[in-house]
Amino acid sequence: MRRAYFKNNWVAALMVAPQLIIVFTFFYFPTSQALYWAFTLEQPWGGGNTWVGFDNFTAILSDSLYWASIWVSVVYAVGSTALAVGMALLLAIFADRQLAGYKLYKIGLIWPYAIAAPAVGLAFRFIFTPGAGLMMFVNQMFPHLWNPVDNGNQAMAMVIIAGAWKQVAYNFIFFLAGLQSIPRALIEAGAMDGARVLRRMRDIQLPLLAPTFFFVLVINITDSFTDSFGIVDTMTAGGPSRATNIMVYKIFNDGFQGLDYSGAAAQSIILMILVIALTFVQFRYIERKVHYT
Amino acid sequence: MNKTYPALGALALAFCATTASADKIKFDYWYGLSGDLGAVVAQTCDHFNASQDKYEAVCTGYDGYELVVQSAIAAFRAGKAPALLQSFDAGTADLMMSGQFYPVTQMMKDFNIEINWADYFPGIADYYSSSKGEMFSMPFNSSTAVMYYNTDDLAAVNMPVPQDWDEFAATLKALKAKNPAKCSYGYEPSAWVDLEQYSAINNVPLATNNNGYDGLDTKLVYNTTSAEKHMEDIKSWLDAGLAEMKVSAGGMNSQEAFAQNICSFFFGSIANHSSLNLKHADGLNWNVAMIPVEKGNTRHNSVVGGASLWVLAGKSEDEYRGVAEYLKFISTPDSIKFWVSNTGYIPVTKSAFDKLTADGFYSAAPYKGRETAIASLTATEPGPLNRGFRLGSMIQLRAEWLSDVQAALAGQTTVKAAYDMSVERGNALLDKFAKTYAGKTLP
Amino acid sequence: MIERTPLLNIATHLILAFGLIMLLLPMYLVVVAASHSLQDVISVPPNLLPGDQLWVNLQEAWAKGHLGQRFVTTFIVAIGVMTGKVVLSCITAFGIVFFDHRLKMPIFWAIFITLMLPLEVRIVPTYAVAANAFLPFQTLLDLSGITWLVNAASGVQIKLEWNLLNSYAGLIMPLVATATGTFLYRQFFLTIPEELVEAAKMDGAGPLRFLWDVLIPLSRTNIAALATIMFVYAWNQYLWPLLVVTDQSYAMIAVELSRLVPKFSATGGEVPKWHIAMAGTVIVMGPPIVVVVFMQRWFVRGLINTDK
Repeated sequence: MRRAYFKNNWVAALMVAPQLIIVFTFFYFPTSQALYWAFTLEQPWGGGNTWVGFDNFTAILSDSLYWASIWVSVVYAVGSTALAVGMALLLAIFADRQLAGYKLYKIGLIWPYAIAAPAVGLAFRFIFTPGAGLMMFVNQMFPHLWNPVDNGNQAMAMVIIAGAWKQVAYNFIFFLAGLQSIPRALIEAGAMDGARVLRRMRDIQLPLLAPTFFFVLVINITDSFTDSFGIVDTMTAGGPSRATNIMVYKIFNDGFQGLDYSGAAAQSIILMILVIALTFVQFRYIERKVHYT
Repeated sequence: MNKTYPALGALALAFCATTASADKIKFDYWYGLSGDLGAVVAQTCDHFNASQDKYEAVCTGYDGYELVVQSAIAAFRAGKAPALLQSFDAGTADLMMSGQFYPVTQMMKDFNIEINWADYFPGIADYYSSSKGEMFSMPFNSSTAVMYYNTDDLAAVNMPVPQDWDEFAATLKALKAKNPAKCSYGYEPSAWVDLEQYSAINNVPLATNNNGYDGLDTKLVYNTTSAEKHMEDIKSWLDAGLAEMKVSAGGMNSQEAFAQNICSFFFGSIANHSSLNLKHADGLNWNVAMIPVEKGNTRHNSVVGGASLWVLAGKSEDEYRGVAEYLKFISTPDSIKFWVSNTGYIPVTKSAFDKLTADGFYSAAPYKGRETAIASLTATEPGPLNRGFRLGSMIQLRAEWLSDVQAALAGQTTVKAAYDMSVERGNALLDKFAKTYAGKTLP
Repeated sequence: MIERTPLLNIATHLILAFGLIMLLLPMYLVVVAASHSLQDVISVPPNLLPGDQLWVNLQEAWAKGHLGQRFVTTFIVAIGVMTGKVVLSCITAFGIVFFDHRLKMPIFWAIFITLMLPLEVRIVPTYAVAANAFLPFQTLLDLSGITWLVNAASGVQIKLEWNLLNSYAGLIMPLVATATGTFLYRQFFLTIPEELVEAAKMDGAGPLRFLWDVLIPLSRTNIAALATIMFVYAWNQYLWPLLVVTDQSYAMIAVELSRLVPKFSATGGEVPKWHIAMAGTVIVMGPPIVVVVFMQRWFVRGLINTDK
């Protein structure tokens, strides 16, 4: 895409410098140290380390259960992203019609983002408990239908729903903001041409929302790969029998809880490469379909 | 009641702020207990600070052992570590290998503080000692696993408290026959109970090298012992409906199910004794007993759980003096009594236990029954297979065990295959741990 | 746009009401749990209707969690992080989108990659930086030999140190860098018609003038969205504040809240006081809702429509 640009690049340098300095100080410098451990066996209390080259990587990549964990992570990422983005888009585009009660919907749909993580865990425990509440009702009608304690697929469904839930509110905010930055004139023009509401949504609003959609999609996929250990930790702890053992949870478990810094670092590198590749693919193939101006 | 304490404390502080507190030598103490237990630790700190005017313990609580150990490592490597750290059983091997600590026996000797080390229960002391018997950290909150049972349910089927696993199975059958609707045994997979305590009590090895005490080239062997058969038994009980899975992913864990009078049995830490006392369904009558032993086996002592206090390296002598005073303070009979009566933990020294018993502490509710834990820990003098477990990567070993056991219980594989698998994966972890500390030996 | 679409309106309300119920159900359960005694909260089947203990529980949570005191610290940090993020990501995206230089994409990716490694993984070295924020620069000087050169030439040993532990700077600064915000602004800036830039240049307006007079007014809804998210994000921060703060006068509210919901392993089997924890959650959710209500006033349609 060709654009009109400002010429004075020193202004640009000044603009990006603060963020780059912070990122270097608090992210790249420490991260590079952590990643160095991937090629060593690091003693947690700092007694030194031994260089082992790619040993940590070969050990991980020759483990069939690790590949299973990659698969589980992909299922989680696709499931939670599809659910969270789809729900949020639907809600935002209808909320944007601004019918009566719009303000109530708007606040009600944004607010859940504010709830603190441990409370989310407890609430979903109430919701998904086989012996109580909603699921007790399901199990009374269809005995033994719902049993996430033994059934890995159901445990995964449970984690996906809980993971997507908070993300819906997050996505909703950005979709709503995106929809509201669409020039009113365009929609009015569409209406004058005789396009009805649903048609305007499809032909005008959705295409113009594409930049925001792309943003939300990329962020959701990245987040579901890298930031989802909390929900797994409180709900299933990776079980039953590794059915919800997503990659980042294993990293958290090995490195943060088990003090295996080298193993966790090697897994982090693999995860990063995977997510970078996925993001790259999205930028390359999906962003092409996005029209910015 | 509670509300007045901070006010009083602040008042007291205000009075002596001008004189003593300014000159007090401060040292940091980080602990991993939270909730009510964390509050009791904080009170212990306050008592210590009020007891003398030379040192001040600055106590910081974290939510969980993993978190406090992680924070302490980060701080240690940046040179900002606390002088005293509460660390859990699973972190023991890493700390011992690091050498970045001041052994408590050495420290007390250096500061001429008399502690009768022989007074500690051997089952507790051995867990925190080197292979030569030198105690490296100070035992603090200690527990062991016990069997909780519903006395009314047992009486209804006219059965005694089961002493061995055959009797236990017979009791489950009787309970089920009497009341098919009730869950007889709320089961929650726990490597600590089903594997570690079982192996110690039945005197079977969990790993080679005397459970890791004699070297780093240790291999797990629990797939070849009766521990594997025990797991098969549990699975057969679950399959026959004699036991039911009660884990938090299913809404309530085994302790909650027991407390709500849903299940007749569960196994857990003696520390739960206190919380069960505080919260249980109306009319629930319950008691604790030692974990059953395999029929025909002699009972051996169970192993200690919980955490101990480590003195970290690299602090000033003044701080160490303060820490030594603090450790001395928490070892006094009064402090121990304060600790065990406000928590579910057990006293760590024989004299404290004897004194509590003589005072009648264990003869009446709510503390009655907790002496069972001491009986279990001291059933025999600990031998090479009942001292504890000196294994690296303990957290991951337990996680692998749990994943494979879940697969077996869900019927995806057999118990034998699951145990073989978790041993194989565990051995890879132990191998890696040994390589990480290549050239070093276990103290 | 006055159209009569009764069926579609009913469908709209149904969809939105369904979404609202789905999203608010867990929150409802939190409030319900906050209004019972512990015995009622953990009983089976659980109570699905509110009880009468709400006020009592709220008071206990308030006192036990020292929430009043923590509100102030957390508010300062949240406002700091929010402002920092909104400003920093805006100017960064501006530098990337509206200038033509070869480093555009590398810089964008360098920032974006920060999303890909959670703090838990890099906790130990990050703490070292918090203990001395100049450590990275000291290391650079050491590695490049400058420290040695200066020492050899002048006898001065360069030793940079800036301790961020137990300070607002330490709480705020590491949280301010944000890939999300930069990405969001980038997406929006790319939709700005080129004619606006051309027009600004023709008027002789420099880049900063353009940023201030044109871009920021146009970005109002996106700024409001980002600010809302970032305030809540900072408000609920847990791990970083826990690590860098041991002086309780800087303690943040999410850390205090987690103490009300202790981990099972850390309590010796004590049943967490869910009712108090949930009451604490209800209190802690308060300021974010105020921010949401306040910010949503900027979610107004049609601002870009003024370019006639």
